[in-house]
Amino acid sequence: MPLLELLNYPFLQRAIIAGLILGLLLACLGVYVTLRRMAFFGDGIAHASLAGIAIALLAGLTPLPVALVWSLVVAVIIFLLERKVKLPTDSIIGILFTASMALGVVLMRFTPGYQPDLVSYLFGSILSIQNTDLWITAGITAAILIWLFTSFRGLTFMSLTEESAAVAGVKVKLHTLVLYVSLALATVLGVKMLGIVLVSALLILPPATSRLIAKNFRQYFILSVVVAEVTILAGLLASFQFDLPSGASIVLAGTVLFCLAAVFRRR
Amino acid sequence: MSPRSKKTNEPIPAIFVENLNVKYGDNVVVDDISFSVGQGTVAAIVGPNGSGKTTLMKAILGLAPFRGEALVLGQHFHEVRGRVGYVPQRFTFDRDFPITVEEFLHLALGTKCLPSRILTVIKEVGLTPLVLHKRLGTLSGGQLQRILIAQAILNDPAILFLDEPSTGIDVAGETAIHDVIEHLNKEHHTTILMVSHDIAMISCLVDQVLCLNKKLLCSGPPKKALTQKSLGELFGPHHSLYEHHQHHHEA
Repeated sequence: MPLLELLNYPFLQRAIIAGLILGLLLACLGVYVTLRRMAFFGDGIAHASLAGIAIALLAGLTPLPVALVWSLVVAVIIFLLERKVKLPTDSIIGILFTASMALGVVLMRFTPGYQPDLVSYLFGSILSIQNTDLWITAGITAAILIWLFTSFRGLTFMSLTEESAAVAGVKVKLHTLVLYVSLALATVLGVKMLGIVLVSALLILPPATSRLIAKNFRQYFILSVVVAEVTILAGLLASFQFDLPSGASIVLAGTVLFCLAAVFRRR
Repeated sequence: MSPRSKKTNEPIPAIFVENLNVKYGDNVVVDDISFSVGQGTVAAIVGPNGSGKTTLMKAILGLAPFRGEALVLGQHFHEVRGRVGYVPQRFTFDRDFPITVEEFLHLALGTKCLPSRILTVIKEVGLTPLVLHKRLGTLSGGQLQRILIAQAILNDPAILFLDEPSTGIDVAGETAIHDVIEHLNKEHHTTILMVSHDIAMISCLVDQVLCLNKKLLCSGPPKKALTQKSLGELFGPHHSLYEHHQHHHEA
């Protein structure tokens, strides 16, 4: 079926709109993930969300809201433990995400029958996005982006030099907590589209690609968003046209863009 | 005019520390320190590695928990935050990160400051406006340190805290930084408290030396504080001063 005809279908329209909204959100947050070297955080939260999904399926609830709340709790625990115990952050994340994932696997044992929802969360199912999912995604994205743009200066300053920012009056702890919560929510929204296994790629690939090209921070930020949107569109259209898994197609599209930027960038 | 006490009309010390203790578990890092630094003074904290110099500075700035009293311009640090500038000991960042000097300085610009202030501070630290368009990661050690000082003075602070401002910088860069410190103190009456290992620089530049090795071992003008005895207590018995024809050097 020609691509233009495919785009008349509401489920594809929802998928593209959701993809573009998520691309914007994950690109903006991804700038700080790479600046603060938190790539593992996104991966950890994505895997930890499995327990939230399992709890929802066991209780007969809609998975997305429960996964959002669960991931929010995990993010807050990471924030608190960072300040309480003398362990590196990646160790804390590793402990929490593996424990959470193990809990999810154990809980699934008690959920009778085959669970198609679980599989779709592992590898993404953008075509199953409903209007409710779209509204939740748009609402959370708007809230996070409003915070991001009003806190832009302080957040960027503290990501470069935390002590100087603290002395200058930036509320470092508060911004860190809100950043962790925002990342957790954004990652779980992305899990629906890209899956637990691949979602962190969309936090990392666009900023990594734009960093190879950008000459200054303003360009870096804008290009991260542009690259994310092109990645989403190219991946989705390729998956529709050639009947490929959508999550994997998006990640491969992003990887191609990264490779092109690495090869052709000006030194 | 320097802030004065309402009760006594005496100038308020820029920094006042009394019975300050910092302890992590059983490890005493700073042990019962008391001192004051007058407004418009250039003061330096010297001592061996692990003596608590950086911890003391961080405690005054509210970056480390402590017991005791630490006042800046007669108030607790968070009440005078806008009047203090700080350059930390380490500024580790990814040198390939795409951010220009101008963008970096804009991050630290307070709401009451005009963007034109950036040009002013660049000149204050002895750099040209051309540096604004350079990426932060392409600067030399000395240039980067001067940009960090520029960032710290953007809001025209009354007090500047510098933690080892010339560590890892070549001689030319060190001289430039010393010139900046001298300029800020003489032209703007900025009080400066710095942590330094550079005894030679301290002898020439500062008004007050604080010798720290967990405890305060000496305090006063360099010629009085940096005696053979105090250096021996600080760095060990095999250290002494000799007087070069122009400088004092640690031997």
